[in-house]
Amino acid sequence: MVEEKGENEVGAQRTSGWSAPTGRRTDEWSECLVHIGKSHDRAAFTRFFRHFAPLIKAFALAGSSLSASHADELVQEVMLKVWQKADGFNPEKAAASTWIYTIARNCRTDMFRRLQKFDTQLAAEDLSIEVEGEEPFAVLHNRRGSDRVRNLMGQLPPDQAQILAKVYMEGKSHSEAAAELDLPLGTVKSRVRLAIQKLQVQMDRQ
Amino acid sequence: MAMANHHPSNDFLMEYAAGTLPVAQAACISAHLNYCDRCRRVYDQMQNIGGVMLERLDPVPVSEAVLDAVLGRLDEPEPLHHPQAKAAVELPALLRRIINGDFSQLVWKRITKSLSISYLSTGDSDYEFALYRIAAGGRIPEHQHAGTEMTLVLEGGFSDSNGHYHAGDFIYRVADEKHAPVALDGEDCICLAVLDAPLRFTGWNYRWLNPFLQLRAS
Repeated sequence: MVEEKGENEVGAQRTSGWSAPTGRRTDEWSECLVHIGKSHDRAAFTRFFRHFAPLIKAFALAGSSLSASHADELVQEVMLKVWQKADGFNPEKAAASTWIYTIARNCRTDMFRRLQKFDTQLAAEDLSIEVEGEEPFAVLHNRRGSDRVRNLMGQLPPDQAQILAKVYMEGKSHSEAAAELDLPLGTVKSRVRLAIQKLQVQMDRQ
Repeated sequence: MAMANHHPSNDFLMEYAAGTLPVAQAACISAHLNYCDRCRRVYDQMQNIGGVMLERLDPVPVSEAVLDAVLGRLDEPEPLHHPQAKAAVELPALLRRIINGDFSQLVWKRITKSLSISYLSTGDSDYEFALYRIAAGGRIPEHQHAGTEMTLVLEGGFSDSNGHYHAGDFIYRVADEKHAPVALDGEDCICLAVLDAPLRFTGWNYRWLNPFLQLRAS
């Protein structure tokens, strides 16, 4: 998608005595995002929009809690943030999809609160922590984490995937998910636990 | 980097990553992440789940008008944003923001000889969000909770029958657990506590205080 060869590639980088083993990230959207951040290239942004805006809209409508016009408003807010924050995106630390998910999640939370007239001085962004760990292992660990989750996600049994979709895409708490699916909370929690194991979320420190 | 020994459960980290926790509880988890590399890594992975699920959604068409509207707004000045929380050095930036300064600027309400409480506001009317200061070596009378309690140690430390807790440690208690924390010697202990029901002193000589401990959620 990004035509520039070489200059935007994210490859092995030397970090004070430590060099990333093999492999460069083959995530074209991460490269596109880096390019947008560096060059403020509207054409690249338009490509990024065409790919992600329909996903953000699907996210907005998941759980059918927002109207179509609010969903479009959310798409606008998220994509504007993408443009404004792209220069802070670091492909060594996070996958593009994770980065944009975080923005979409925060925007949706704030929109819910606005619609419910919930009065807080804290924006969702204030409550989310950016990846600050600079140690090479942590960074590599996280970069690979997204690829691993992507590979394993397709193998989740439907009942576990369904709970994750309720929580992540519809923004339901575990107890709300339990109520909607008419399951005991314990069942929801044990499916979540199994899913976390399958996705190898919690790798022990090495 | 600071290392905590007591952590929020994966359930909390997931709900935090998915943005489904109430504001007051999210603020407490967020403050813990300031102290804890381990949980931050788990949180990163929990967020990756969100990213991958987003990729896998069935796209819903977006009209060209929305794209045009966004392109038309790209030159708008960016809203000011405050700097993000930095790695643990002292007080999490988020708390500094809620407190609007540091501990010295707070109004402390004296509850007992050893315990003072400063009530803060997160805008969440279901949860009390407060700082507890226990004098060095002092004890909080035995109490129990009618609801849940998240505690994060910010300074100093305390111990109870379950263990010792230091800066960065996160403790979650559910209704009816009783405990009588004692601050470690040498330093006042300051904790962030997030409650959804008032605590109740259980000893006969402190029970008279209970009517003064209404939930101060705001």
